[in-house]
Amino acid sequence: MPGDVVSILIAAIISWILFVSIDLIFGLPKTGGVSGAREIAGEIEREGGSLHGGYMMGNIVCSPDASAGTLLAACGVYIAGIPGGLAAAVLVYVGNRICYDRGYAGTTGALAATFLIYGFTTIGFSAAHFIAGMVIAILTIQGISHTHASRLLSRLWGWRS
Amino acid sequence: MEVITTQEIAILVCAAIGVISAVRVIAERNTMKKLPFLNVLSFAIAGSLALLLPDPLTILAAAAYFVGTTLESNAIASSYAGGPKNDE
Repeated sequence: MPGDVVSILIAAIISWILFVSIDLIFGLPKTGGVSGAREIAGEIEREGGSLHGGYMMGNIVCSPDASAGTLLAACGVYIAGIPGGLAAAVLVYVGNRICYDRGYAGTTGALAATFLIYGFTTIGFSAAHFIAGMVIAILTIQGISHTHASRLLSRLWGWRS
Repeated sequence: MEVITTQEIAILVCAAIGVISAVRVIAERNTMKKLPFLNVLSFAIAGSLALLLPDPLTILAAAAYFVGTTLESNAIASSYAGGPKNDE
């Protein structure tokens, strides 16, 4: 059991780095993809947060991005191995189009996560660790302090741009 | 003493985070700020679904559930922002 707790925490850190870096590469903090994402960013900024981090959080809420791709790929790998992860990537692609999102962050995240998680299952991790880890990772961005999370994401975006 | 399996620990983590975010959705007064907490709740539920029901169809169910809640959040946020006519 202590091994599982440590594995979940390591999986959380890996998932966090994976989805934040893919979202930054695809430029999610640049602007809100839909008007709702811009509205959420504006609200976070009014509360003392940072606008570009808010855009990224708004985009995560409004369309399946790399974080959703990582979670669904982890679910897919847990249930059916690599074919399950690839099926999740297809479903994320369809989900992006349903949500009026023309980007490929979600699909790329799901494909990258599928192979990454499968790789980690060969060295003693379970895909279940990554499901719990991804839920912890999204909690740190969206569920603790919107003000601080948006400032952190803006700082990372500043380094990238 | 009963040994807790990996799957059970993962479910416990997802369920605990789901309950915390559900409480925060209820406690938050501002609708726009409820949505990120709702997003965490959707992650926790989609993860729990896959862990509780390891069946190929669960991938479809979890993705359909997740995309559905995302679309609803998108619709709520967009209608607060004045509707799709404000999208370029």
